Amino acid sequence: MSWRSGRVGKRIGATVVVVAAGVGLGLSVHHDVQFTANVTTAKYVAGANAMMQQEECIYDAIRLKVPKGATVYTTASRFPPSQRLAELSTLWAVPVANIADAQYRLTLVPPRGRSIVPFPLTKAAPDPAKGRCDGVTLKVHRL
Amino acid sequence: MKPFVVLAVGLALPGLLPALAVARRSALVVFLAPVIGALMAAVAAAIELGLGGSLPRDYAGVAAAVNVAVIVWWVVSRRAASRAVPQRGTWTALAWSVLAVPVVIAALVIVPLRALGGPIFGWDANSIWTTHALMVYGGHHELLTGLQNAAYSFTNPDYPPLVPAAGALAFRFYGLADLHLAVDVTVLISACGLGVAGMGIAAVADALAAGRGASWPARVVAVAAAGAICVVGFAVSGIFAVEGYADLVWAAFAVGAVIWGLVLPTSPRALTVAWICAAAASLTKNEGLATALVIIVAIALRYRPLSLPGPMARRWAERAVFVVVPALPGVAWAGIIRLIGVHDAFFKSASAESPLTRATATIAGMAEHLHIAPLALAVTLAGSWFLRADRQRAGLGNPVWLWICWLGSLAIIFGTYLIGGLEIHGWLANSVNRVTIFAQVVLYTEIAVWMVIAAEAAFGRAIGSDDPEPPSVREHSPEVLDGPREPLPQ
Repeated sequence: MSWRSGRVGKRIGATVVVVAAGVGLGLSVHHDVQFTANVTTAKYVAGANAMMQQEECIYDAIRLKVPKGATVYTTASRFPPSQRLAELSTLWAVPVANIADAQYRLTLVPPRGRSIVPFPLTKAAPDPAKGRCDGVTLKVHRL
Repeated sequence: MKPFVVLAVGLALPGLLPALAVARRSALVVFLAPVIGALMAAVAAAIELGLGGSLPRDYAGVAAAVNVAVIVWWVVSRRAASRAVPQRGTWTALAWSVLAVPVVIAALVIVPLRALGGPIFGWDANSIWTTHALMVYGGHHELLTGLQNAAYSFTNPDYPPLVPAAGALAFRFYGLADLHLAVDVTVLISACGLGVAGMGIAAVADALAAGRGASWPARVVAVAAAGAICVVGFAVSGIFAVEGYADLVWAAFAVGAVIWGLVLPTSPRALTVAWICAAAASLTKNEGLATALVIIVAIALRYRPLSLPGPMARRWAERAVFVVVPALPGVAWAGIIRLIGVHDAFFKSASAESPLTRATATIAGMAEHLHIAPLALAVTLAGSWFLRADRQRAGLGNPVWLWICWLGSLAIIFGTYLIGGLEIHGWLANSVNRVTIFAQVVLYTEIAVWMVIAAEAAFGRAIGSDDPEPPSVREHSPEVLDGPREPLPQ
């Protein structure tokens, strides 16, 4: 291979690498542009706000209905709401693994005929003092 | 605005002086300072758990100690520094790094960070990271009893504290009225980690400049690639990047460690940035710790090659120091967490499935998220064929290092799925897309690095006239390719 053809070959090879790499990176960037567009629509943001509002309501309801420092047993028909209740109790009540050690049992109840997972959302105004949080109700039972 | 205030005042400000000491004349400091701040906050959380106190007190102590150490180091080395005359290329590199910062920030703000407009809250963000952030916020007793509490076993109590510490710091700034603030700060830390990696890609053009003088097209491509890799990090992570998961956080740090420690030419600055990133990855998630250890060992072998002549005992001692120093924070956390009686939930029970069933399901699951691998391999092979001499002349690391880290990370994840106790199909469905984020982003990084080298060869000054003879196979081996270009720490 002559010096000139080697030089041309190298420049062509380098151009191919630039193009291939650019296409690979560009496609991925394009993917994120599309993804970001999907999660920034008014509908998506409204849904996220509603879920956030529900979470804040449950957080407030626990603080309004359970004495500070009380031991609580969190339960629900399926485990994820139990996790959510334990999380939102943190720094206020003390979740315990054994119901025999608990002073209160916390339960999230869905509207009649609805499943608790995914968390149902309604347009009802949140009322943390009564444990009503946009579709789920926090029930607190003293043990 | 609140998360940006936490990032700037809570994380970047305490990390500014150390970042300036490390980055020197580079705008890298913009992204490195918050990463150092987050790392210091994580160390403070580990101290809070192991020794006591609260996050503000321990964070103030760690930040003060680090900043005093940097000031002492600066005073001691001032005379030597005053004698050093900045070269012309240094200022060119600074100018391009300054240009790269707004490009990287614009790429992040225009595309992925727009998602912060809505309070997206992922499941792990709630059940793991915010819960742990609340525990860290509550102080030593709350953190210790919380992690030991069986009712919180679903939170994976052994997970490292970087993300919770940053979240707790955000709560210290603005209270507990808005728990989503912790998610926003997590996303911004991911962006900063990717920023460090992006600035590493921009610095590839500096390395080419040091070798033969990078032309402006290569510089422009490097800056564009720096911005692109930050968006790509979010792209491969999908929703998990913007709803408070920690997977992109550790992956971004680990990619930063790879590019600064194993791709860019060897130097004290690159080594320190790589160590900071590796330590941050190790304090973010268990997969981050495992992957960081692979990267740290690879960096040690690159900086202290096995074939160097000299006293064997001293060489091995140096290699040990190169591993122990950056690995210490992550390993210390793992030690503390086991001392308080907390263990990894994934290995508590034995699986009923056969190893073959688990292995085939894992391979299939991981392969679904590694579509970029064939392109990365093709680019690496084409680059190695056409541009090997250019890469070598610039002092850039052998691509084998990056692929070793890629394979090492995948092997650890594969092994975890293989010997873990959870039902494999459900486990894969819930996690394999997240634990392979590093493997994907690091391959995109490899592609970006080759693109910069190729841009210089394709669009730069006339090539070939001064091309040396192709190096022999021995010369292309890592230990020779990666010979030091700057004085290294002894």
